[in-house]
This record gives sequence, C-alpha cells and structure tokens, in this order.
Amino acid sequence: MAGIWVFAEDYEHNLELIQGGTELAQKLASKIVVILPHNAGNDEKAHDCIARGADEILYLPPLAEDEDFMACIPLIVAEVLQEKPDVFLIGSSLRGKELAARIAARLNTGLCSDCISLELSADDQSLIMERLIFGGAAVQRVSIPTRPQMATIPPRLFSPAAVQEGRTGNIRELPPAPPSKVKILGKKTRTHEAAALTEARILLCVGRGVEKEEDLTLVRELADLLGAEIGCTRPISDEMHWLPEECCIGLSGIQVKPELYIGIGVSGQIQHITGIRDARIICSINNDENAPIFAVSDYAIQGDLYKVLPLIIEGLKK
Amino acid sequence: MPRIIACYKWVVDEAYIRTDSSPELDLEYADKKMSDYDRNAIEEAIQLYEKYGGSVAAITVGHPYDTKGVKDALSRGPEKAYFINDPSFENLEPAQTAAILADVITAKTEYDLIICGEGSSDLYAQQVGPRLAELLDIPCVTMVSKIDLAGEQLIAERKADDGIETVSLSLPALLTVLPDINSPRIPGLRDTLAASKKPVIEIVKDELSGNFAPCLQVLASFKANMERNGQKLSDEAADIAFLLDTLQSKGIIARGVK
Ligand SMILES: Cc1cc2nc3c(=O)[nH]c(=O)nc-3n(C[C@H](O)[C@H](O)[C@H](O)COP(=O)(O)OP(=O)(O)OC[C@H]3O[C@@H](n4cnc5c(N)ncnc54)[C@H](O)[C@@H]3O)c2cc1C
Ligand SMILES: Nc1ncnc2c1ncn2[C@@H]1O[C@H](COP(=O)(O)O)[C@@H](O)[C@H]1O
Repeated sequence: MAGIWVFAEDYEHNLELIQGGTELAQKLASKIVVILPHNAGNDEKAHDCIARGADEILYLPPLAEDEDFMACIPLIVAEVLQEKPDVFLIGSSLRGKELAARIAARLNTGLCSDCISLELSADDQSLIMERLIFGGAAVQRVSIPTRPQMATIPPRLFSPAAVQEGRTGNIRELPPAPPSKVKILGKKTRTHEAAALTEARILLCVGRGVEKEEDLTLVRELADLLGAEIGCTRPISDEMHWLPEECCIGLSGIQVKPELYIGIGVSGQIQHITGIRDARIICSINNDENAPIFAVSDYAIQGDLYKVLPLIIEGLKK
Repeated sequence: MPRIIACYKWVVDEAYIRTDSSPELDLEYADKKMSDYDRNAIEEAIQLYEKYGGSVAAITVGHPYDTKGVKDALSRGPEKAYFINDPSFENLEPAQTAAILADVITAKTEYDLIICGEGSSDLYAQQVGPRLAELLDIPCVTMVSKIDLAGEQLIAERKADDGIETVSLSLPALLTVLPDINSPRIPGLRDTLAASKKPVIEIVKDELSGNFAPCLQVLASFKANMERNGQKLSDEAADIAFLLDTLQSKGIIARGVK
C-alpha cells in the first residue's frame, strides 16, 4: 500500500495537507503518513493527526539548538527510499521549499513548486497539478512521471482535516540526525500576523507611491474608518521595512480575497496582481494613467494619492 | 580568496505577455531579459569579489540564441562566462537545469561559492539552487540577505517564516540570495564594451555526460486572465463621492459611523 506523505512546519498547515492527502487517499487506497517535529514526550499532536486522518506518524528526532533543520533531510530520504510513497506534499514555507527541493534532488524525482490545484488523472494513476509561471501571468499544468510525486502546497489550498471517530494509527520516531553542515549561530524570531490579512473583508495596500513612512498614518486613518487591514507590495515590506514581511501580497507573499481591495500607489506588476486576483472589487489610486493596475481594476482613480486619500476620508466621515 | 560562480537565467520578459482574454500563451514576440533576482546574485558575487578578492564567473543553461544574455551577464562584472547551450535547453524543468549545471560545474570549474537567485522570473520554482547543492553534495542555505566571509568560513543571515537565522558553514557552499541583499548596479556603455572582450566558454550537449530526462512534465500552459472592465475615475471630489456611493449601495462600506 503506497503512501501519501505530508509535512508542514506549521501545525495548522499540516492539518490542511492531511485533508488534501485524505481526498487523494480515498481514490488511491493508500495510507497517510504525517511527519511531525520532535514531540518532547507529548503525543497530543500525533493523536490529533491520527484522529484527523493520519495512519502513521513519523517524529523527527530532537535537534540541538545550533543544528540546522535541514539535518533531517537524510533521515526523511532514507524513509522514503524504504517506504516508497506515491505522493509527498510539503507545506510551502520558506524552509519547506528548501527542504522539498533538496529531498527531490536526492530522490531524483519531480517537484511541483507552489501548487495551486491538484487532482488525480482520469486513470487515477498520477496527479495533475497546476502552478503559476511568468509572475502569475500564466498557468502551467504538470505531471510527474517519477515517484514520489512531490509538491509544495501554499496555506489554505485545503481546509483543515476534521476529527473523525474511532481512528487508530502508528507512531514512530526517526533515528537521530547526522550533524548538519550548517550551524545556527543565532535567531531573531518574530510572530506571524498574516492571518488577519487573508481574512480581511476590506484591504488597503500600500505601494511605493507612498513617499514616506510617516505617510502611513494617512493610510491607517482610512483603515480605521473602513475597518480595513493594511497590506503592502514587496518593496514596502522587504526593502523599506515599513510593514512586516508577512504583509506582502503577491507571488512571493500571500494570496488575499477581500470584498474590497484598494491599491494606494501600487503600480500593478503581475507578481503583485496575481495575489489579488480573487478580490471581489479592485480599486486603485495611481497618478500614472498607464499604470498596469488600471487594467485589472474595477474602479481606477487616476490621481495623486495625497489628494485622493483625504477626499475619501472626508467622504466617509460625512 | 573565493572563486565564485553566479548562476543566472535569461528569461522571457513577462511584461510582453498580453493580458487579453485569449488563453493562448504566445511568446513569439516576447523579448528576453535577465531574470530579475539573478541580477542580485551576480551583484552579490561582484561585491564579495571587491571585498575579498578571488574571481567571479557567470554560468547559464539556455538556447544557443541567448548570446545577448551572456553579454548582459558579463557587463555586470564577472570576468568570464560559461554558456551551456542547446536548442533543447530552452524549456527545461528545474531538475534538468540543476543536473546540467552540476555536470558542467563538476567537470569544468573550480569554485568555493555558488550563488543563485531566490527564484527565476519565469518559473519561480525556487528549486535549481538547492537541487544543485545536493547534486554537488555541498552545504546550502537559501533566502540569504547578508553574507560575510572569514577564510573558509561563511556567515550568512537567512530569512525563514518565523524570523531571521544567522548561520555558519564552510566552503565550498551554495547560497540563494534575496533581492534585498543589494542594489544591482546598472551597466554603463563602458561595461557593455568590456563585456564583449571577456572570455565565453561554450559548452554544447555532446560534452555533457548524462541524459537529463525531465522529472516534471508540462502538459499545458495557458494565460491567466485577470482583466476587469474598469470604470475610470478622476481625483475630483464628485468622482470620489460617486465611488463611495457605489460601494455603499453594494453593501461593501458603511459611512458616517464615526
Ligand atoms: C520573482 C518575483 C516575485 C515577486 N513577488 C512579489 C510579490 O509577492 N508582491 C509584490 O508586491 N511584488 C512582488 N515582486 C515585485 C514586483 O515585480 C514589483 O516590483 C512590485 O510589486 C512593485 O511595487 P510597487 O507597485 O509598490 O512599486 P512601483 O512599481 O515603484 O510603483 C509605484 C507606483 O506608485 C505610483 N505613484 C507614485 N507617486 C504617486 C502618488 N503621489 N499618487 C499616486 N500614485 C503614485 C507610480 O505611478 C507607480 O505606479 C516580485 C518580483 C519578482 C521578480
Ligand atoms: N537555466 C539556468 N541557468 C543557470 N542558472 C539557472 C537557470 N535556471 C535557474 N537558475 C538559477 O536558479 C535560481 C532559481 O531558479 P528556479 O528554480 O527556476 O526558480 C535562479 O535564480 C538562478 O540563479
């Protein structure tokens, strides 16, 4: 019985992959194997995963603090070679993507990066997957002739698997990892806030057209009036660091689907636009009549954002 | 003194993909460009060279027509380029590209550090770098925003979803770099002239050892249509009032609450 394997850094994301795997497992008559980080003597998560559809849990061994997470790669590869799963889904966090590519290289198998849709072929033999190319301007449909068929899966492609009654499964710990060639010297941790943006009903997006960080107060004032969340383009988060990186919307950031998106000084390059394709209404404010965002907008306001924002704020207060 | 190899891809410029409603992906009239984030990969190699000495070579796998890309890469500073080309090397999938690069790098080069971009502008698979490191069996760190060298030791800062890690590893190694690691300089006329005098090492398919079969099969490619029939508005108060009225009547916004 070939398996469907899943791994995600984030526990919630892992539950989504179990759901995705379960949908396939019913047709492929295979078991679901979940790889979890070391449990530190607490099997609560393992039992939760089993209740939600996992048949087997593989615990990664504990790692010393200075060990790179990627030290686990040889262990996972050895298990895959032994158990020969059919499908291996990995959550597409930054670490997840590196892990997936390196495992795929060692197994000499194909990997569909950032898969946006996944279904079984008519003969139930292989996966048909889709992913974005050219920054989101086009879609590529792919299949993988080698095994396992690997894919990295963004958050929220599947809903989290639900708890079912009376399920049982095995729990197993993998042997210790060999020392990694990369050592961790230090860590600056930060917390995630992306959930608010992906759930937002109204979303304001700050682009490079906003001149100074202080000007965000104007955007915040509007956000308060609308009950909106604030996201941004990649230059704002990754170059200017005005907003946290998890606020970046687009190909390398998050996918959003608000009722209303307002782009404020956003040019509308395809890598950004692809993240807002599911917005119900797209409104944009840009002073360049040729700004590409106008072509994908429902309401295209051509003008200076420093004139338009105060007008909107005033209009809302009326 | 590090011998550095920067990997770049010469890609179809996505700006030429027309956003009309036909689903066909017609790339016949599309121009090519340097993959955006590979400019950062080359720039970082040059900055490390300026700081620590050594050497920088650029390497690419592509179609024999892509000589313009070789010149573009050389105009950004590397002293020589490896141009692995064949008419069949145009639409490779990441596993193939990595295998071809590994084959040539092993057979024809000496290196201490390989630098790739975070992801290519066309496929953005984020696979070639880490796959190449595995095939060469060297340490790998992805998503790097800072690099320091101290002899054989490399210190890097890498981005992860839960924060920034500072890591150390020894050379030879492979890194993929984020665009915020540097601001690529724009080549001037003199750089372009200098580029045409630099050595280009051409490597054709016959010189490679391996069959490089794809592990990922492309069944179809089609355009994503995102066009909306937008209403054009000005920045005059009347237009803004119209917009707010419309959004209110659709039940999307509420007014006068505060
Ligand atoms: C592989 C890859 C992945 C990427 N992923 C992402 C991603 O996930 N998300 C993302 O956002 N980007 C991404 N990018 C970058 C993307 O290509 C664009 O560079 C970026 O989205 C541009 O951000 P921007 O619109 O804020 O800035 P700009 O392109 O500089 O646009 C600023 C706009 O503001 C307008 N403006 C200036 N002043 C005013 C004013 N006073 N009033 C009104 N308008 C004004 C200008 O006309 C201009 O259109 C990616 C790029 C690559 C190559
Ligand atoms: N054809 C190629 N030739 C040389 N390097 C490449 C090629 N394709 C990808 N790369 C390198 O691998 C990185 C990641 O590419 P990708 O896996 O396609 O996202 C790029 O930023 C380049 O540094």
